[in-house]
Amino acid sequence: MSNATVVVVTSGKGGVGKTTTTAAIASALAKEGYQVCAIDFDVGLRNLDLIMGAERRVVFDLVNVVRGEASIKQALVRDKKLNNLYLLPASQTRDKDALTEEGVASVISELRMYFDWVICDSPAGIERGATLAMRHADEAIIVSNPEVSSVRDCDRIIGLLDAKTKIAEDGGRMPKHLMITRYDTERAKTGDMLATDDVVDILSVPLIGVVPESKDVLKASNVGLPITLSDENSPAAKAYTEAVRRLLGENIPVTIPEEKKGLFGKFFKGRAA
Amino acid sequence: MKFKGKSFIAIVLSPEPPFADWFREIDRIIERSPGFFIDRPIILDVRGTKIPIEELEQLLAELAERSIRVMGIDGVAGTRLKAGMPPSFSGGRLASDVDVPTPANASAVAGNGSETEKPDAKDADGSTRNTTAKSKKTAAEPKAKVSKANGDSDVEPEAWETSPASIASGSSIVITEPVRSGQSILHPEGDVTVIGSVSSGAEIIAGGSIHVYGALRGRALAGVAGKDSARIFCSKLDAELVSINGLYKVADDFDGALRNAPAQIRFENETLVFEELN
Repeated sequence: MSNATVVVVTSGKGGVGKTTTTAAIASALAKEGYQVCAIDFDVGLRNLDLIMGAERRVVFDLVNVVRGEASIKQALVRDKKLNNLYLLPASQTRDKDALTEEGVASVISELRMYFDWVICDSPAGIERGATLAMRHADEAIIVSNPEVSSVRDCDRIIGLLDAKTKIAEDGGRMPKHLMITRYDTERAKTGDMLATDDVVDILSVPLIGVVPESKDVLKASNVGLPITLSDENSPAAKAYTEAVRRLLGENIPVTIPEEKKGLFGKFFKGRAA
Repeated sequence: MKFKGKSFIAIVLSPEPPFADWFREIDRIIERSPGFFIDRPIILDVRGTKIPIEELEQLLAELAERSIRVMGIDGVAGTRLKAGMPPSFSGGRLASDVDVPTPANASAVAGNGSETEKPDAKDADGSTRNTTAKSKKTAAEPKAKVSKANGDSDVEPEAWETSPASIASGSSIVITEPVRSGQSILHPEGDVTVIGSVSSGAEIIAGGSIHVYGALRGRALAGVAGKDSARIFCSKLDAELVSINGLYKVADDFDGALRNAPAQIRFENETLVFEELN
């Protein structure tokens, strides 16, 4: 029997990479040998099952479990490749009002007994789904793109993490990690994008990783494999793997992995602009 | 044993039906000067209205909702009042009116410079007088010190101990973490100090001055209780809006030279003065 660490992956804004990050982190943790469960809280707009390639094996979902129509063990879907990685899918036919505070609390406390890590994929927004996803978390990963609207939404979410969560209400402080995704080194150099330092400065949350914008991420989600499983050598996968090592407590400096460029690419880049 | 007598100036609220309109007027005043009703003795005057006790109860509840605490009720016999209601009050001598702070009369109250008074300030006073505040002496103890109420503008200094200006110089609070987007720090009684940044989309509202040891990227509203000696300080000025005693400026109207610099903002001659701190 173990006592899991519950991590919420959240951002406020949609489309920044919460689900990709959840899948990547969960599978990287599973590869390290931990018992891992990923929960999709995006009831009504579920995606995590697609990213993890489990969509054809979903029988019961989170709403069924919350309402007591199915047991957790019935609803959990085991990953194809890693037998210590599980998914608790969201319901696609309901909406977020189907989740109740008590129901979610009992699901999380039961999952805590079976797993080492529980990763909650939060829906976008600051409404019921998002607040319930963060409610029982022990730690938070805040996903931001290097872009102003995403950063401001993250700031709002951090405020909620410090006010609306169980930890905060008990007088504690939730440890937070900042994950910058879709980072484009070239555009950051030319000033088209916020630099990582600026994002960290605005949010004042320690950086856990910088994931470069990469075609591999799209490719991976289309084949239904988390990026950390599909292409371990891609810069994005490396960034996630390093982030997980930091999450596990290793103290390694944050680097920004770059896309490998051929000789021609380098040459061409030099002549452009 | 000796009992001391003390006299205070209480604000007398005389609700006029329809109450919905009257409360709208109250809300307007609170919005303009959030500290106005805080820590002041307040008497509810319902003389001549023959108000049913249920309606009175409703009235008290609505006032409580606005954090206006009534210390006594004038015009209802004590025997008619329900348990938990403020006690019945009667008597009292009329003193001069309590002005609702506007930028102009707040400075007059503070006693420095009447030249800043706007010509239309009198009109503003006149209209608020009718609707809200008549001031009145209460607590007529046998040995009460009676302070004199002579002029219109120079009200007893004692009574003005509780004026907006001194309310604002009362307590201060310190926030030791960043103020995030969507969060609002409201402290109408005094200074607010933030150790950390104030994010874009966050706001600080203070009766006194605002100090930000970090970047000010959100809104800062100082001196909201009618104190134009309030100032705003920050180590990095990138605010969306700054305001002192109701006078505001948005980021577009700032002096570009001070952007991202340590700065202070103060109120002078009906304008906001921006200065670099060094």
